[in-house]
Amino acid sequence: MTESILRARDLVIGYETPLTQALNFHVGPGEILVVLGESGCGKSTLLSTLSGITQPISGEILLGEKCLSGVPIHRRDIGLVFQDPLLFPHLSLLDNIGYSLRARGKTKKEARERAAELLEWVGLSDVTGNKTWELSGGQAGRVALARAIAANPAVLLLDEPYSALDKTTRLRLLTDVKDLITGAGIPTIHVTHDSGEAELLATRTLTW
Amino acid sequence: MFRFIAVTMCGALALTACSSTPETGSSAATGSNASTSNEVETVRMITHESFVLSPSFVEDLRAQGVDLQITSTGDAGTLTASAILSAGQPTADVLFGIDNTLALRATEEGVFQTYESPELANVLPEFADDTQGGRLTPIDFGDVCINIDDTWFAQQGLTAPTTLDELPEFANRLVVEDPATSSPGLAFLLATVARFGTDWPSYWEALRDGGVAVAGSWTDAYYSQFTPSGGDRPLVVSYATSPAAEIVFAEDSSVSTPSTSVMTDSCFRQVEYAGILNGAENLDGAQKVIDALLSRSVQEDIPLNMFVYPVRADAILPSVFTEFTPIITGSASLPAEQVKDQLASLLSTWGAVMNR
Amino acid sequence: MFPAVVLTVFLVYPLIRLASIAVSSQTLTALSSSTLWKVVLLASGQAALSVVLSLAIGIPIARVLFNYQFPGRGFMLALVTVPFVLPTVVVALGFRSLFGSSISNGLLLVVLAHAYINIAVVVRLVGAQWATLDRRMELTAATLGATPFHVFRTVTLPALRNSIVVAASVVFIFSFSSLGIVVVLGDGSTTRTLEQVLLRSTSVLLDFPTALAAATLQLLVVSLVFIVSARINRREPRAKVTLEREKIGTHKTAVAVGATVLIGAALVLAPIASILWASVTSANGLTTGWWAGLWSTENARIGSPVGALGRSLALALGTSVIAAILGGAIAIAVMSKRGIVATLALIPLGVSAVTLGLGILLAFSRGPLDLRGTGVLIPITHALIAVPIVVAVATPSLRNVDPRRYFVALSLGAAPMRAWWSAFGTVFGGVMLAAGGLAAAVSLGEFGAASLLSRTDSPTVPVQIERLLSKPGESSFATAAVLSVILVILTMTLLAVVDRISMRKVPT
Repeated sequence: MTESILRARDLVIGYETPLTQALNFHVGPGEILVVLGESGCGKSTLLSTLSGITQPISGEILLGEKCLSGVPIHRRDIGLVFQDPLLFPHLSLLDNIGYSLRARGKTKKEARERAAELLEWVGLSDVTGNKTWELSGGQAGRVALARAIAANPAVLLLDEPYSALDKTTRLRLLTDVKDLITGAGIPTIHVTHDSGEAELLATRTLTW
Repeated sequence: MFRFIAVTMCGALALTACSSTPETGSSAATGSNASTSNEVETVRMITHESFVLSPSFVEDLRAQGVDLQITSTGDAGTLTASAILSAGQPTADVLFGIDNTLALRATEEGVFQTYESPELANVLPEFADDTQGGRLTPIDFGDVCINIDDTWFAQQGLTAPTTLDELPEFANRLVVEDPATSSPGLAFLLATVARFGTDWPSYWEALRDGGVAVAGSWTDAYYSQFTPSGGDRPLVVSYATSPAAEIVFAEDSSVSTPSTSVMTDSCFRQVEYAGILNGAENLDGAQKVIDALLSRSVQEDIPLNMFVYPVRADAILPSVFTEFTPIITGSASLPAEQVKDQLASLLSTWGAVMNR
Repeated sequence: MFPAVVLTVFLVYPLIRLASIAVSSQTLTALSSSTLWKVVLLASGQAALSVVLSLAIGIPIARVLFNYQFPGRGFMLALVTVPFVLPTVVVALGFRSLFGSSISNGLLLVVLAHAYINIAVVVRLVGAQWATLDRRMELTAATLGATPFHVFRTVTLPALRNSIVVAASVVFIFSFSSLGIVVVLGDGSTTRTLEQVLLRSTSVLLDFPTALAAATLQLLVVSLVFIVSARINRREPRAKVTLEREKIGTHKTAVAVGATVLIGAALVLAPIASILWASVTSANGLTTGWWAGLWSTENARIGSPVGALGRSLALALGTSVIAAILGGAIAIAVMSKRGIVATLALIPLGVSAVTLGLGILLAFSRGPLDLRGTGVLIPITHALIAVPIVVAVATPSLRNVDPRRYFVALSLGAAPMRAWWSAFGTVFGGVMLAAGGLAAAVSLGEFGAASLLSRTDSPTVPVQIERLLSKPGESSFATAAVLSVILVILTMTLLAVVDRISMRKVPT
């Protein structure tokens, strides 16, 4: 978790045909790399390739010194937040956030404690008792972020999060998120098609 | 939208109604007046699912002015039950297919009305009085017996048992049917009751200890466990006419002797009756149907269709019957009263003995 | 309004009438007999085991068939549904000839057979819900560090809970009230069911009080199961959409999918294979004689098999239309929260087909309601039997449609009826088609009621098969086998066609 720089080397993403030219980039602690591009040009595919959901056509992904090819999703230590919050409807908010800890064998108590901390961190302690479908879009988005962060990932990938929200809420949320993430220091790749958003968040930008 | 639904439903119903044979003629008037020779009156008969006769049965009746509609209502037991449940307000005019184990119960419940067919004068002597006070007319009879796979015994170099007493030795080669769910199974149980009297449970204990197999249905016993079908039991409770059926239903006509035979010592007599239901709409037509069932042509039609024997004395049997299935004399039977009174306790005692 | 009337006339009235004829002072005594309650316990235990096995086999198959797209998928879905609609006597015989004497009659064989028959229930019900699960939820769980097994246990299964509970209830009820399988493959002591007691009381002992008591008890147990499962089932947010099925991406997935399909197909085909074998063999070896003989006049003795086929098909068509309309009307009533209608519609699940057939026979055979000659009694009975299945399949899909569409249509000026149709019509149509197809398949294989209401000269195929199997002789058995194979092919074709059409109508 310390020396965590995510590197892509000559990475060619796509399903049968390449979606882009070979990519080379990296992102390290404290950085937010924004990937800017039109819808459908492969931004989401990049994230799913990095997280292990899809296989690259060629090239390498390295986390620190470790090569990630062949490593299954649950061992990559890479967090992913989709456009929809995708909270688990059968779990409470605390159990949602604490999911990663339970998955790694921590006790319910430990998981819930950490989850409460993070819920506080994203400013939602007052709705702790709500069901997942009782939250507003913005609230759900924060919970999703807290859940991803609880896993203490080496890298965080955000796929146009909150794009379903209205612009004002989204920008406000993103500003908060930026503060949260840079505060935590996790290297982050953020995908969007909105250049305003890109300007707001990015420490660096990647386009193709 | 609803119009669409209504139209479609009517269409569907019409389609299915057309798929069954349409009814000709109108419902008969109530009462017992004879019809004129040009009118065709509808008579309904309910029977069990094993009823089969050549089309000439219905055709000849039509020539007499009777349009016979036959419905099957499950097996003989369900048939009897439905008749009792609808006693007095029957779903048909004539019932065919009630057998001697249940007949008394049905007549006591007032299911049938009396009718003495003139054709009764032509039946075998033993059936002339078998009418439950005129309420039932015997139509056919048969025997439930142990069937033996002669080929198997020959191959094993063993002699097959010939009497009930010898059977327990071969218990692990015998499959019987559960009397609670199978009519031949019940008949065989009654045969042992007739033979051994109150001692019959010990006979069954001997069978049980000897490894007898109990099948839930005749189909399972005969087609799965009987050796000619690939099973491992060369002895099965079946019908006296099963060997003859083997010939008739064989694939090619080159098969001329059956590979199975019958243990005549084990047989139990089954008699099938027909009767006019109490409250029938068409009395006159119903009487014609009963007479027709006892007519020589129909009686001679029965053996190859239903694999039982005609009650009529002058009916000529098909050759495959006379060669391979002699009429069994001395098959067991029990008084109807006894069967009716003891049926429930017989079944529960049997269940206790056989752990079922 | 409409479904309530139909159900009352054709379902409630015949059953009440039957009960009133059969009831007597001894019924209450019969109800408290300890034997009956012992049977309830035995049957419950057997049914529970059947549920566990069905779920174990059905869930992997549901996953594969409803989440992935691959050639032969439709065929496989139709194939796993065949055991459900085959006449039970055919299944029982197939099992018996498959296992011979290696597994003796008893609990194990009965549970295996029940699981076999009910795979389709689990696959279709759970699969339909699985298709609405957002795969990204499982992917998210994986990124949070959960192993695939952990994901399945903590994310997938809970998300499927509703459909699993419903499927489990249906399988429980079918197994609890099973008759044919238990009679042929059971041992008479550990595998008893109330249905068996009912049969024995009715047609052997003519003991109607006990029969009524058994029927009442069965209905009570079935109602209890429904109430419990409705309680357990969570209120959940509406699933947004039925997702596209994935193409198979990785080699690993292909192997897993392929293995599941092959094993599933083998399981389904094994008992059928022995029947297929019987239809082409005779004492002299392989032969096409039995098949060729279908058209011969020799067979006129038991009624022409070809005639029976035609009759069964026409009947199935009539049943499917009635069942689809009735079931659809009931599903709508359910959506509008008129629960009483749904409860009425589910009664046939707890009442045997024979009891229902008997009730209808007695209720409509005389007087003003004499429907005997009209030929509608069987399709109506079959529709009543199929309706619970239609409702079970249709309701979840209908619940998932976004009702806002309806209001949008209204606001655009459409009349209520039209607005409803434009909002729900496509889904409704697709669902009704699928449900109707299922009902037709049920009708093709239904035996109990048909045996009670058929004209002897116009039997359906299952009745025909049963008659053949009650006669000795090589050709009887072989012809029954041929008819069974034809039934399988017909059913599969029907299901495959219906599935294909209804899948196309799924909205995105």
